[in-house]
Amino acid sequence: MAQTYLHNAREQTAALKPLRKRRWGGAAPYLFIFPWIFGFVVFTLGPLLFSLIISFFDWPIVGKVTFIGFDNYIEMFTDDPMFWTSLFVTLKFAALFVPLNIIIALGLAMLLNQKVRGSAIFRTAFYLPSVISGVALAMIWSWVYSGDYGILNYFLSLFGIQGPDWLNDTKWSLVAMVVASLWGQGSMMLIFLAGLKGIPKDLYESASIDGAGKIRQFFSVTIPMITPTILFNLITSIIAAFQQLTLALLLTGGGPLKSTYFYAMYMYENAFKYFKMGYSAANAWFMFLIVLVLTFLVFKSSEAWVFYEGEMKKNSRDERKSKKGGQAG
Amino acid sequence: MKKMLTYALLIVFSLLFIAPLFWAVTTALKSQQELYLFPPKWIPSVWKFSNFAEAWNSQPFNLFLKNTVIITALSTLGQLISCTLVAYGFARFQFKGRDFLFLVVLATMMIPWEVTMIPQYMEFNYLGWINTLKPLIVPSWFGSAYYIFLLRQFILTLPRELDEAATIDGASKVTVLFWIIVPLMGPSLILVAVFQVMSCWNDYLGPLIFLNDQTKYTLTLGLSQFKGMYGVDMQSIMAITCLISIPPLAIFFFAQRYIVGGIATTGIKG
Amino acid sequence: MKKRISLIVLATTVMVSVLSACGGSGGNAETSGQGEGGSKQTKTLRFATWDTGDALKIEQDIAKKFEAAHPGTKVQVEAYADGFDQKLAAGFGAANPPDVMYMWDFPTYHQSLEPLDGYADKDPDLNIDDFYKGLFNYGKIGDTLYGIPAGFTTRVVYYNKKLFDEAGVPYPKDGWTWAEFQDIAQKLTDKSKKQYGFGVRAENDTYDLQGFVWSNGSSFISPDGKAIDGYMNSKETAEAIQMFGDMVKNGSAVLTGGKGQQSGDDIFKAGKIAMWESGIWPLESFKQAGVDVGTVEMPAFPGKPVKGVLAESALSIAKDSKQKDLAWEFVKFYVSNDSIKMRVADLPVRQSVVTELKKDQDPLYKPFYAMLERSSDTPAFLLNPKWNEVNRQLSAAVEAVMHGASAQEVLNQAVKDSERYLK
Repeated sequence: MAQTYLHNAREQTAALKPLRKRRWGGAAPYLFIFPWIFGFVVFTLGPLLFSLIISFFDWPIVGKVTFIGFDNYIEMFTDDPMFWTSLFVTLKFAALFVPLNIIIALGLAMLLNQKVRGSAIFRTAFYLPSVISGVALAMIWSWVYSGDYGILNYFLSLFGIQGPDWLNDTKWSLVAMVVASLWGQGSMMLIFLAGLKGIPKDLYESASIDGAGKIRQFFSVTIPMITPTILFNLITSIIAAFQQLTLALLLTGGGPLKSTYFYAMYMYENAFKYFKMGYSAANAWFMFLIVLVLTFLVFKSSEAWVFYEGEMKKNSRDERKSKKGGQAG
Repeated sequence: MKKMLTYALLIVFSLLFIAPLFWAVTTALKSQQELYLFPPKWIPSVWKFSNFAEAWNSQPFNLFLKNTVIITALSTLGQLISCTLVAYGFARFQFKGRDFLFLVVLATMMIPWEVTMIPQYMEFNYLGWINTLKPLIVPSWFGSAYYIFLLRQFILTLPRELDEAATIDGASKVTVLFWIIVPLMGPSLILVAVFQVMSCWNDYLGPLIFLNDQTKYTLTLGLSQFKGMYGVDMQSIMAITCLISIPPLAIFFFAQRYIVGGIATTGIKG
Repeated sequence: MKKRISLIVLATTVMVSVLSACGGSGGNAETSGQGEGGSKQTKTLRFATWDTGDALKIEQDIAKKFEAAHPGTKVQVEAYADGFDQKLAAGFGAANPPDVMYMWDFPTYHQSLEPLDGYADKDPDLNIDDFYKGLFNYGKIGDTLYGIPAGFTTRVVYYNKKLFDEAGVPYPKDGWTWAEFQDIAQKLTDKSKKQYGFGVRAENDTYDLQGFVWSNGSSFISPDGKAIDGYMNSKETAEAIQMFGDMVKNGSAVLTGGKGQQSGDDIFKAGKIAMWESGIWPLESFKQAGVDVGTVEMPAFPGKPVKGVLAESALSIAKDSKQKDLAWEFVKFYVSNDSIKMRVADLPVRQSVVTELKKDQDPLYKPFYAMLERSSDTPAFLLNPKWNEVNRQLSAAVEAVMHGASAQEVLNQAVKDSERYLK
């Protein structure tokens, strides 16, 4: 396949081996990323700076704007119990959600990666919840979790278990939210599946020739080969966990007793319920920093555990490949 | 034996994912009186297919569908083109400030939307874009961090020898991208397209903020109209949800085999 | 390097000018008020509403009638539904709000709203005297009027006649007491059927609770709006709120879900709660769901007069509106007899309409009007501009009571935590 493209490309471009290249070579990467730079400057940077500025103001959406220096930040850390409550709820949620999300998505992807009949149907079934819009999702879950009338408890009662009123019980509400969020793992599963399919079969072959069992193969071939995918899913999961808002907003409203009062919801309420835009911007910048630091750490650590084939230095696979290539040619 | 276990697991999980949706469909089909029975009735005694038509006709949903299709198609096209260029730039070049810029790309994913919303609204208002479809389409043409990141990860897994060989032969970077990289990226581009279609199709906050006039509304805005300040029309919500889920579901069903089937034939095998 | 930067700058400049060019045309079209295909003379009036469904349809019909009566005018009805506050926040934040909008939260928004006294006093067409007395107080901040009443509701107790008949319990009658109410709730509770006497909201709007607190001779805040200690945490306030917490505890009431969950309305429709307390809003849907429903005035605390709370929706004009006179015409049209007759989702604000339609004779509606006469107290949010902050503490305290906390304790704490907002 690739060989043909390569071949075509050679023929097509032989004619224009241009001066242009040398002249534009230095700017080329910037030209490629230019669309993003432009979009960033125009649609993101401005609003972002604006939000940074207003975080130093008392900025009600209606009414008088006053400069108050660091007061928003000071109030947030020293004088607002809701800040700490919501931060703690979000950290708890992230600690549960991120690993579970990755394990479940990867597990499902591996199940689907087997040779099975009807895999298209199963894939679609696993992805189904991701197609449903938020408003309907919340209603579906409220019906699942309802204490007296929900299907979850109806199901449990068949086994003689009296389930709690999931969303009105502070012990269970956050767990219920985690489960509901995991239900929408479809995209992540799909990305894993694509990653798994990308692992060359010959790697498994040579591993099994070396006498590695299924479990060894999983840890020495599968996991290393999908580390770029894991990195992607890890980072996006962390971000998703910190930004979790829709479900809380539509399903629990942060309750009961603030047990699902996510940081994003706290921010949202400060902005749109209490109209304290400046304060909300300060909240947002703090969260932004936390996630940024987390991501940065994950990213830095990834140099130690993520394996990019494209970045690979000379090693045995190159040799093997050149051998194979030679044969094909 | 092992196969049996695989199938058993697949079926159990499928049921877990489908069961609640099954309820959504039956809710849409029930009569008013059966709606609130406890314990719930799984199968309605009378199948009221007319509920679908009633819900659809209660608002100009045909118009909403048209708006949604326009937004989805144009923004998906924009994402594909722009994100491919940008991801390639980040994956295949060494340049000053690359790592920093890429961190900025990642950082934009973490910006909470609630705070940039009002300034963004002001900006679009200044441009005269409020109550038009532009704020929902144009930014897509400048790439989105999630897809750039995703595509970059994919391009990084492609062996560099491919483009190096072509470069030695004198191919320009653009040629390499479009004749070597893009064909190999097919599955991941379809993945991006699917994700963008889904998120565009189901986007609620964007249309809510930027559109005012019902003639500009999207399907999700129409859907949210069944949820008022003082009450919820659960049946219509479920009926419309079922209906508007069909196109993205169909797209997914047809795209998925390219996404998962295609990757295996990428350039890794050389 | 320099070259690269200048290249990017150049490209950016080009792109920006392209964008603003195509934006500019859109902007012009917008500001000159031409709708698509509209003639050059057409003026577009933006009207924002939170209503949905049938109520929204009626509002669109009223808008069409207004257009017919005012040639050259187009009314753009903007239905924000559940996203109402967010849309207004964006609109006011960017100085691009709708001209006319539904409004109830005047303390929050009044600085962006046009004072209406001048219009109302000058305009005899409005016929202020025909409005129910007291409704105008809900649209005032200080002495300035910011909203014209368009609809309202009081709150009553709904009951499911079938469940009463099955249990052989006589229907409740106006003038009943909370002791009787609790007794009936006990009798109508049947755990085996998952049936309860009453439904208590897990997340109460404290606004709605004020009726009970007033009925017990207390309030959340002093009449001058300056003190909450001794009001919000008085023995009477705590008693009224504790009552509901106790009913959940002893099982005669069920906790009904928060925002998106199965609401008390739904469970009432399912015939699983015998009594439910609410405004006029769900009445139609109860009838549609086939519930044989009755309404009755709120119960009394022994020896004290029953008080009720009134929820009003008003129409306001944005300060930033460029066509205030036209906006006023629309507001006036919207609260005219003819328009009010068309609207059925809440109660008519004009006495003449009520008399004409004999609404107050209808047994289902009668308790609402009886409660109107008991709604003379001023709600807390109109008394103190910082009420929003205090309410945050109060709401948390009330929620805790419904989950089993002692009302007196948590209210004392809430008062302590709120004091600083009132200084």
